[in-house]
Amino acid sequence: MKETWKIAKWEVMRNLRNKQFIIGLLLTPIIMAMFSGVPRLLERWNQPAVSTYYVLDQAQGMQGLSEMSLGNVLLKSYAGSAETIEQSVREAEVAGYFSLHHGFFETGELELFFNERNNDGVGVIGSFLSNLLQQQRMQAANIAPEQLAHLTSQASVVAVAMESADVPGGEEVIVSMAFIALIFLLIFSSGTMLMQSALQERRDRMAEVVLSSIRPNQLMQGKVLGHFLLGVLQLVFWIALGLPAIIYFLDFPVWEAITQVNVPVLLFFGLFGYLLFSAIFVSLGATMEDLQSAGNAQGLVIMLPMLSFLFIGPVVSNPDGVIAQFASIFPFTSPALMIMRNAITRVPTWELILSAVVLIATTLLIIRLAAKVFRVGMLMYGKNASMGEIVKWMQYKDV
Amino acid sequence: MAGLEVAAIRKTYSSKAVVDDITFQAEAGKITGILGPNGAGKTTTIRMIMGITAPDSGKIWFTSNGKRYAGVPRSLVGYLPEERGLYKEARVMEILQFLAGLKDISAADAKTSAIDWLAKFGLSDYANSKIEQLSKGMAQKVQFIASVIHQPEFIVLDEPFSGLDPVSQDVFKAEIRALAARGTTVLLSSHQMNIVEELCDSLFLIDKGKEVAYGSVARIKEQYGNYRVQLVADKAIESLISSTLVESCHQHSDSRWTLGLKDRVSPSEFLSTISKDASIKEINVSRLSLHDIFVKIAKGGSSNERNMENRQMGSYEELA
Repeated sequence: MKETWKIAKWEVMRNLRNKQFIIGLLLTPIIMAMFSGVPRLLERWNQPAVSTYYVLDQAQGMQGLSEMSLGNVLLKSYAGSAETIEQSVREAEVAGYFSLHHGFFETGELELFFNERNNDGVGVIGSFLSNLLQQQRMQAANIAPEQLAHLTSQASVVAVAMESADVPGGEEVIVSMAFIALIFLLIFSSGTMLMQSALQERRDRMAEVVLSSIRPNQLMQGKVLGHFLLGVLQLVFWIALGLPAIIYFLDFPVWEAITQVNVPVLLFFGLFGYLLFSAIFVSLGATMEDLQSAGNAQGLVIMLPMLSFLFIGPVVSNPDGVIAQFASIFPFTSPALMIMRNAITRVPTWELILSAVVLIATTLLIIRLAAKVFRVGMLMYGKNASMGEIVKWMQYKDV
Repeated sequence: MAGLEVAAIRKTYSSKAVVDDITFQAEAGKITGILGPNGAGKTTTIRMIMGITAPDSGKIWFTSNGKRYAGVPRSLVGYLPEERGLYKEARVMEILQFLAGLKDISAADAKTSAIDWLAKFGLSDYANSKIEQLSKGMAQKVQFIASVIHQPEFIVLDEPFSGLDPVSQDVFKAEIRALAARGTTVLLSSHQMNIVEELCDSLFLIDKGKEVAYGSVARIKEQYGNYRVQLVADKAIESLISSTLVESCHQHSDSRWTLGLKDRVSPSEFLSTISKDASIKEINVSRLSLHDIFVKIAKGGSSNERNMENRQMGSYEELA
């Protein structure tokens, strides 16, 4: 363990002094902020300009006001006559005009003339006029507006769960999803770094020197541990930056939500998922000469964590279905999908236990095989190993 | 006896014996050379000694302070592998402290020791340089320091002189001798025969995984080294060239010949056959050099061009 720790410490220190790592650490939140902030900004800028319509108010619908603002539409009372209004609209380059004549309250019909460029106001003006029409007619029929509101009110249905404690709330789903996203971020970022680290060890021809001092298993464990710590450090840094922003801008009850989450399930599946994939990635790095020349089989293995994404749809739409059950027990997808299923439905205890046992057994087996591949691979110089060779290495006895 | 004992080790890959029943010893305070053509099984042997791979059968012992260990304890060994390298972006002092730390040397002790060694190799100004900023020779010196910084009792040097200029070679030679003088067991693998001849107390020659010669340099020369006559004369001296004592004859120029004497023909026996009026300008009788012996031994194996240590695919099994 002492040796493992030495390697872990070296990996951490080496990366903390590495410019690329630091830049990545700082750049990621900036990029995230850009991706979440920029669309909001753009939306704000994109607010449509106000369209102005002239109203020839013969029926006094605007109650003598010279201007009325209806969101994006501005109605302006036109002082001139019906003969000059079209000319005035063209000269002022406003959106259009209509004539609010007495006949409108009889028939409810009205013609809106608009400039070729834009007729955005039709909807808004339509509903404004509908209200006007209703008011007018209610007045005529002696019905108070309060009465009308009472008559046309909608039914309101509140869903009350009979076992409210067991049914996850929306906040739990959000926190679980966020946790899955963080775990995947961790798996991909430190997985790639682990692969690079093993590759670099081989490329720099350091493996033999290091292996003359410590066992290959210790080297591998040290790398996995070191990059786990680095990954957690990254996450903590990002969360420390992001959480205040989330609380401030989104008004999301973060602390309340976290207390609702099943933390042991999250941590267990998150940690083992990380271990499983990082063992795969580090030994994969030991089989490759460089990232560019990764073979098809190796490329497929890199994609392995992505398998979970295939099942997200089926699990969300039918969280108690057979596919969801399978995906939350199959060890290469269970870390993410069990967390997800557990957040959106009540997973039977036996399934949780079965999934945990399968995941532990698979992780231990994979670590064992990965250690063998790593041991043999680290001492290879030349080119990528084929799948057949990797399988053969797995059968070698330990030193 | 203190030092390394290798007893009947074997390593087989895909039913091919890469190392086949090898037995030798490397005494403490002595420099033992391990020689052989490419692909002979040297690196595999060294890796088994280092505990990086395990032999299929046979035993390796190391004796230190009266205690005999099965296998070489990792804390007692220093290793300079043939495939060389250091983390390129790391700094010299950092990497020396890290590697010494793996041998349980504290960072402070490692630093003191590293400063001494860097001064010895004229690298004091480079302690905070990155490895990638160093020349190849400098990096090699740093790696040599990494293999001795923890004062190992046993050190394995695989091709330590390759790529070094003559001045640096001399520095390395002096340091290796000094290590042995302090009682360190030194196992040296090299293709530079003149240096091996100069440095090693005893030699182990290996070819195709098997022992071909083992013993002190003098004994091996005696065993394999027939005499060689270098001759300078105005014209060919037929009586010498076609002598029954001569095994081979090689003419270098109009006036220079090298004659190889047959087994067990002594210099005086050959010299007594030269007539007094032979027009010889120069004559020099000497043992075959280690180089010639090596070539002679390796000839049988020279068709084996496959360089196992450079590990093209297919020879991957060599390493497991």
